[in-house]
Amino acid sequence: MKRHLFTSNKIRLVSSALAVVFALPLFWKGLAGLYTWFSPFILLHSVIVLKSFVWMNFPGMVVLVFSFMRKRWFCRYMCPVGYGCDLVSKYSIRRNFKLSRVPDFSKGLAIASLVAAAAGLPLFILLDPMALFHGFFSVFSGNKPFWVIVSFSGLPVLLAIHLFIPGVWCARICPLGGLQDLFGMARQTIRKTRSEKKRNSEFKGSGRRLFIASGLGIASGLLIPRYLHTSSYQRIRPPASLPSDLFNVLCIRCSNCVKACPTQIIDNNTDTSDPVAWMTPVVHFENSYCLENCNFCGRVCPTGAISPFSIDAKKKIVMALAVVHLEACLLTKRSECDRCKEACKYDAIKIEYLAEKNQMAPVVDNDKCIGCGACAVICPPFTIDMIPPEEIGF
Amino acid sequence: MQRRNFLTRLMLAGGAFTLGPACGRRINLEQTESSEANGDLSLITGNRITEPERQIPVLAETDVLVIGGGPSGAAAAIAASRTGAETWLVERYNHLGGLWTGGLVLPLLSTHGVDKENNRRQVIHGIGGEMSQRLKAVGMSIDEINPVIDPEAAKYVIEEMAREAGVKVLYHTWCANVIMDGPTIQGIFVENKSGRMALLAKVVIDCTGDGDIFHWAGDSYDLMKYHIGLVHRLGNVDRIDTGKPGYQPMSLGEPTPVPGVGWVNMRGKDDQNGVDALTLSELQTEYRLKIWEDVQKIRQTPGHEKVFLLDTASQLGVRVSRILEGEYRLSLEDSMTYKSFDDVIGICGAWTTMLYKGKRVAPAQRPMWQIPYRSLLPKKTENLLVAGRCFSYERDLVEDGRIIGTALITGHGAGAAAGLAIKERESVKNIDADKLKKLLKAQGAWLG
Repeated sequence: MKRHLFTSNKIRLVSSALAVVFALPLFWKGLAGLYTWFSPFILLHSVIVLKSFVWMNFPGMVVLVFSFMRKRWFCRYMCPVGYGCDLVSKYSIRRNFKLSRVPDFSKGLAIASLVAAAAGLPLFILLDPMALFHGFFSVFSGNKPFWVIVSFSGLPVLLAIHLFIPGVWCARICPLGGLQDLFGMARQTIRKTRSEKKRNSEFKGSGRRLFIASGLGIASGLLIPRYLHTSSYQRIRPPASLPSDLFNVLCIRCSNCVKACPTQIIDNNTDTSDPVAWMTPVVHFENSYCLENCNFCGRVCPTGAISPFSIDAKKKIVMALAVVHLEACLLTKRSECDRCKEACKYDAIKIEYLAEKNQMAPVVDNDKCIGCGACAVICPPFTIDMIPPEEIGF
Repeated sequence: MQRRNFLTRLMLAGGAFTLGPACGRRINLEQTESSEANGDLSLITGNRITEPERQIPVLAETDVLVIGGGPSGAAAAIAASRTGAETWLVERYNHLGGLWTGGLVLPLLSTHGVDKENNRRQVIHGIGGEMSQRLKAVGMSIDEINPVIDPEAAKYVIEEMAREAGVKVLYHTWCANVIMDGPTIQGIFVENKSGRMALLAKVVIDCTGDGDIFHWAGDSYDLMKYHIGLVHRLGNVDRIDTGKPGYQPMSLGEPTPVPGVGWVNMRGKDDQNGVDALTLSELQTEYRLKIWEDVQKIRQTPGHEKVFLLDTASQLGVRVSRILEGEYRLSLEDSMTYKSFDDVIGICGAWTTMLYKGKRVAPAQRPMWQIPYRSLLPKKTENLLVAGRCFSYERDLVEDGRIIGTALITGHGAGAAAGLAIKERESVKNIDADKLKKLLKAQGAWLG
């Protein structure tokens, strides 16, 4: 038997291994979650919602073009989730399961999600296989609470399903696969009009279903956001994040930013009072602060929920505001301290004479403070709080 | 007419004749201008005056000359004198200990640091440690870590140690200028009630705190503007009647070894130039008035009638001014990474919270850090050593470079090095690091 070195499955094995390496929270901060950029499903949502591109969208566009030329190109050559599903399906306890008994949701999910995105709500973006895959690997970054681990168990659950229903994800649910099928259909249509070839039976009768799916998509895109009430919750997000209402729905919970943050101040939100923001990245300043020479979180976000920003721009991007509670401040107790002023890299804290305290005290300049949290971290009596910028009217 | 009378009248007339021109003598413009050549009179051009040339008496020729009697200067003079070198110490006030005693900066900061095994241990030994122990022995020191001492006791203890070591202390004397010969300091001009005089020395140690000597000698430095305050002490802080109607708790400072006395720190204004006389004078006036008013407010609060202003510091609390750019500049990085040096002269602790690599490092976690001999050496001047808050470090280390403990350690190192240089007949730049370490250990210093 002739052995092929470059069969599609072997390429996919290498690709999957690479995907795992980049998905793990290792030392290449700027390349964390590289494979999220290859998903055309995420790319299209990002472009439709934000109406803009970044340079890192280029790999996704290449994949888009390839999947237009070749049927399900991404699934065949790159997808680590597909590889895992196929691998598990081999050991399925119901190997003779007839997949045709399951209706095909993938194209419907894809088109409904994209149409809803055009109306402002990326409906099924969380079902993107790359999002599930990268979310799962963030469990390995530091000590995660139980609920975070449960929330990111999408990939193992998916693989476990394949023990019972082999092949169901890729062929029937995966919206990324469905998107590629839609492109395949479009190609068929173009071919048909050009060469009058016989219509492919595979897509017969799907037009009506897709019409209904897009109708549902536009309706949900227009209606659902009203009931989310996300803007009533203010959180400290990574710098250059979108407003909360858009952030919560566009964020795919891939946790690339959590893995990329060199000081590990970004964590997954576990506030149960706001389920829409569940597992979105939030910033906390208990142990460290947002470094003045770092923009990794913006660089690794594949959806643009955190927009890329330059180091120079960072001193203008407000993520929070520092509030000094003078009751516990060492300076107002006449102790020797100027730690907050020294820690501030943006020259936002001055130590001035406060007449009402009859003492020197730190005064925060809200125009200069970007909320990096350095002062809150260094403050010896922990008397500086960081608050979301909206709270005082920004 | 007699011949005698005629002669008398003739002489009188002659005298009267010469009197006229003599009375008309005055200094003309041309004469003043030409005086530049002979140097008789001051030349005033604009707002500058050329000082006339004059002969200055030499008070002494000595081996080691220490300028400034603060913690570093006292430690340096004692260390040098103990090696057998003749040592003179010039001090502008009437006591030793500088800001530690007269300046009322009472806590001996950073006696402790964390070693590599993560134990917080004492680092201040040697002459500084001896001072600390003697203060404890006379019962004028409270707390084990970063002890607060009594200023009068510390003045006595340091004086006693200096006397025992045989240091020749010149009080009430301000150092006025350096006497240079190329890159070598021949001696120092000083001024006091006896006028201007010169002290010649083989090695000079700059313990002025403001780096006056290396400034005049032409070495490069970093002038840092920082907070300047004025510390004061309150008396009767234990005689508060809390039961009095209208009583309110007031801030009465930190406890001191003397019961009933509280010491009150003042952070003071930021961005002040500590080597500008007008700034210092303005701040002095402002702070004195403010302290008095603050104490009056305390006294007017019911229950606090017996509290009184015990004293204000004899000098302003200039935290840092000139920082030498020496052979080696210590940085925060060095202090956080246990950087070890072949020419270590002492080990310091740390007292304040820092950010390092994005993380908070609390005082009890701060590593101890080594001071290399090179950080006491100016780049240009040959026979000068620098100790105290003006030795060579980066601005990010200022909080730990400017404090009493570091001054004691650098002072001891500089004094021992000067003594060794005299003994070995060697330049301070060329002395053997191993011999210096051996000498320091023999003097009780701890080098890790």
